[in-house]
Amino acid sequence: MQEELASALSKKLLEVGIEGKVSNLEPLTGGASKEIWKFEVSNAKQSAKMILRRGSGIEGPLAIKTADEARIQKEVIKVGAPVPIILAVSKNDEELGDSYIMHFVEGESIARKILRDKEYKKALPILAYQCGEAIAKIHNVDINNFSFLPKKPAEDQLEDLYSTYQSFEQPSPVFEYAYLWLKEQDFGNFQESLVHGDFRLGNIIVNAEGLQSIIDWELAHIGNPLQDLGWVCGNSWRFGKNDKVVGGFGEIEDLLEGYNSISKLKVDKEMVKCWQVFGTFRWGVICLIQAYAHLNGTINSIEKAAIGRRVSETEIDIVDLLFLGGE
Amino acid sequence: MIFDRPTSSELIKAVMDFLDTKIKDELPPHLAFKLRITNNVLGMVQREIDQGEQLSEEVIKAMSAIIKSDDLTTKELSNLIKNEDLDLSDEALKDLLVLLSKNKIAVDNPNYSTYKKLIK
Repeated sequence: MQEELASALSKKLLEVGIEGKVSNLEPLTGGASKEIWKFEVSNAKQSAKMILRRGSGIEGPLAIKTADEARIQKEVIKVGAPVPIILAVSKNDEELGDSYIMHFVEGESIARKILRDKEYKKALPILAYQCGEAIAKIHNVDINNFSFLPKKPAEDQLEDLYSTYQSFEQPSPVFEYAYLWLKEQDFGNFQESLVHGDFRLGNIIVNAEGLQSIIDWELAHIGNPLQDLGWVCGNSWRFGKNDKVVGGFGEIEDLLEGYNSISKLKVDKEMVKCWQVFGTFRWGVICLIQAYAHLNGTINSIEKAAIGRRVSETEIDIVDLLFLGGE
Repeated sequence: MIFDRPTSSELIKAVMDFLDTKIKDELPPHLAFKLRITNNVLGMVQREIDQGEQLSEEVIKAMSAIIKSDDLTTKELSNLIKNEDLDLSDEALKDLLVLLSKNKIAVDNPNYSTYKKLIK
């Protein structure tokens, strides 16, 4: 199987003028619904490390096509947002399937390692500011380049998430309460932006100097820019470091200072709060979607089964935010 | 129960120990990651067997103070909230939702940061 993949990769790379032997194919832990392969391409002159990111064909209802992720990365790199350079894109009907090949970026994406290992100790205090800057760059991109992306205003997303939750017929008193609470909120009528949709540890590459690359664009859409800020401040993405509101590593003030240094829209802490609740509810529904993909037999996976029991993490975060003064 | 020891909980513990001590180090990284998930799942099952009944009963008892009918289920509570048949600002309702959330996470993931913070 690996030989077939290696030969398909060589062929694809040749199409874009990169000639070489593919070797050292190694599967990496990706998202739950993507295949990620690291490999090397070498010829007489040089060798380079690359990544294949490939859709499984059974992505959730919120995900865009994998090849479209590459189209976004090609655009945002022009405004200085740190993303891996795209080398080749493959469509669904091609040998490699819905996928793309990009440069391998040195660094770490596994959240717990970034938060724990000595190597990143100096990076963590500056990471929130860097993330703020990077998110602002994404939001400043001209959205006319992204007619292929879905438009998802907050109110529409909330209704979609709620009806998705309802479709599983697994009633949650906390989700019902959260939905009614969220319906009452003013999400802010800001200029529509490109929203990454899943900006957090796990989906960024970090080295000793800090933020290197933003990856995993499968939940990208056009919508309210505050969504990305609320998402990265959700407890779901703090990996046990509850007191560090931004991703388990930083302070919200630093994130917003970095954001406001670049963004046209100036954001304060209060504007982010309802987006934290929104993000937590959204993650809860995504957990349900993943779990039911396993339960209804679409895909047999221990990860997807396990994620069904992470819904309760989002419930306790919601009651903490709404009733117990959680941040 | 008519079954002998090891109990279901003890059997699961034995499986977890086996995976942890004999299998974990034999696996390549991407499978080691899945084994960690597998062990987490077994831990949930074990806690549900050991504590699930008591944790559920606590919630049902608390629900009986708020729900007037005999239908003391999370489904009924969801419906009452959805239809706003309950006062959403009622502190007793909020306390109930906190208890429900705590008791669920106590089985699903007692190491979860928010739970640890709240039971301090």
